Amino acid sequence: MMVSGRSLEAATALITGAFGAAVVVSSLDNGIGWSAAGVESGTFPFIVGLVIAAGSLFNLVQGWLHARAVILGPSELRRLGKLFVPAAVYVGVIPLIGIYPASAFYVFGTLAWHRRGSLLLPALAAIGAALALYLIFELTFQISLPRGALGTIIGF
Amino acid sequence: MENLEALMHGFGIALSGNHIFLMLIGVLLGILVGVLPGLGAPNGVSLLLPLTFGMQPVSAIILLSSMYWGALFGGSVTSILFNIPGEPSSVATTFDGYPMARDGRPTTALATAFGSAAFGALAGVVLITLSASWVAQVALAFGPPEYFAVYFLAFASFVGMGGSPPIKTLVSLAIGFALAAVGIDTVSGSVRLTMGIDELVKGISFVVAVMGLFGIGELLIAVEDEFHVKAISSKVEWREVFRTLAGLPRYSWALLRSAAIGCWMGITPGGPTAASFMSYGIAKRLSPRHANFGKGEPEGIIAPETADHAAGTSALLPMLSLGIPGSATAAVMMGGLMIWGLNPGPMLFVEQKDFVWGLIASMYLGNVVAVVLVLLTVPIFAALMRVPFFIIAPVIVIICTVGAYSVSNSYLDVMLMMGFGVLGYLFKKLHYPLAPLVLAIVIGDKAEDAFRQSMLMSRGSLGIFFAKPLVTTLILLGAALLLMPLIWRTISRMMPRSPSTP
Repeated sequence: MMVSGRSLEAATALITGAFGAAVVVSSLDNGIGWSAAGVESGTFPFIVGLVIAAGSLFNLVQGWLHARAVILGPSELRRLGKLFVPAAVYVGVIPLIGIYPASAFYVFGTLAWHRRGSLLLPALAAIGAALALYLIFELTFQISLPRGALGTIIGF
Repeated sequence: MENLEALMHGFGIALSGNHIFLMLIGVLLGILVGVLPGLGAPNGVSLLLPLTFGMQPVSAIILLSSMYWGALFGGSVTSILFNIPGEPSSVATTFDGYPMARDGRPTTALATAFGSAAFGALAGVVLITLSASWVAQVALAFGPPEYFAVYFLAFASFVGMGGSPPIKTLVSLAIGFALAAVGIDTVSGSVRLTMGIDELVKGISFVVAVMGLFGIGELLIAVEDEFHVKAISSKVEWREVFRTLAGLPRYSWALLRSAAIGCWMGITPGGPTAASFMSYGIAKRLSPRHANFGKGEPEGIIAPETADHAAGTSALLPMLSLGIPGSATAAVMMGGLMIWGLNPGPMLFVEQKDFVWGLIASMYLGNVVAVVLVLLTVPIFAALMRVPFFIIAPVIVIICTVGAYSVSNSYLDVMLMMGFGVLGYLFKKLHYPLAPLVLAIVIGDKAEDAFRQSMLMSRGSLGIFFAKPLVTTLILLGAALLLMPLIWRTISRMMPRSPSTP
């Protein structure tokens, strides 16, 4: 699989353009223009949204005409996936099992995957990561990290 | 003279044991984030922010700004030894720094970089010492229209001089403004742009955006090209260091020119990255040895390094005296200032003298500490680069996740952070600049307030921006900067292309 510069430019311009359109529509609820109390609160976002939408349109056309041919080959995509998919899964399971088990599994998973063989070191690193998080944030700086549904069940 | 007195007073504050210790910690952490791919100065500073809430503001800013200096230096280490820029602003250092190190002169390359960086930083701090309180004094007389005009000028200079495609810069900037508007409107109290998600009433914190854009985004960029770390000896020979430093005055013209470019780009928010590229380009064009550029020419290290640090340092001048940060990291620090209950801008010089001059004095000391520490620790941090990427990556993802979550204990922020990560990757890949987005999130509300207050003063007439000479000049200057890319293109089209391009 390959991704061309053209499609990446187009995708990005569509994302920013959709955001711009959403900002324009949403700002209409707040009212735009001049009222007795001064500039209405939707005015500024409305203008900004228009700039985003118009700029995105320009970038879409420009990107379509002048983009470089291929900027992501199969091997790049594979490497991106290897980093992003586990990271997304990690973030995704935090509300379920809490940040400590999630971080431990995440570290264990990536190390075990790359080392193939001894599982002792990844296991130690996983426990170390969770412990370090707890010591630094929960104990030293008293920032409470999410414990997830699992934490509620076991009462942690 | 008055400034010198205030500066001495500042040294009295900065030279306490506690603050020197914070400087050491800050610089070391800064070098660490500067060296690690995927973590940079904006991230590092945002990560430390929650930890500074219990501190005195002056201690907190000394810690954060020292981290900034450390990160600027750390980025150069990896550029030179590994050809991997640890920071975007040290990309231009790889052009000549790496070839010189590869050809067996790593110490010379490092010493040249650090020496010129220190000179650039010094130029920036001297500029701040001499002019910051003067600028603040002028700014004290500013009303909302003047403020809006200055904001407009700052944003226009990004579009005109940032070096990225102008429309992409504009989109990035406008997205930042829109994100700043999310949540409760400070003027009318109504809720804006929450798109039906109730939790967004609290707004979107710049820390969440920075974690995603610079943390996850940078990581995705870094993983894409498989790194082949080619180990160059990272031993530092001290005698060579001193010989190189003693030889630097031979390049005084290049040093002065690059410092001037850096200061200019730092004050008008072009930022350190644009400054280093611009300085390298100009040096290459003007140098009699321009054929040597790219092969390990000392001037090719001096130019970007001096400008990078001069810009990084002088970016704090508009932040302190006007409340407009000159770089992404300065924007994050300014966000911190507001969280600590300070109001960045000219009133700081009246109400918070200790804070302002303590910070300025600490900039002199912090840069000295940074040069010494970075030279001492080069071998250690170079060894860190040999830790495989697959070990570093999950650690950085976890750090960014925790960093985003701890802003307001919200899981939504973590999801947003991942979204910003993808956006950051796409933007980086396609040459959209990220700094304007962060800047706009931090000062978007202030710019909007200035605009709305001006409109109230004039009862809705835009004429207020052309009523007084100062405002008109600023607005026209901003408009000229906005149109600059267009003007350049027209000129280069009308001029017949010369057959021999230098």
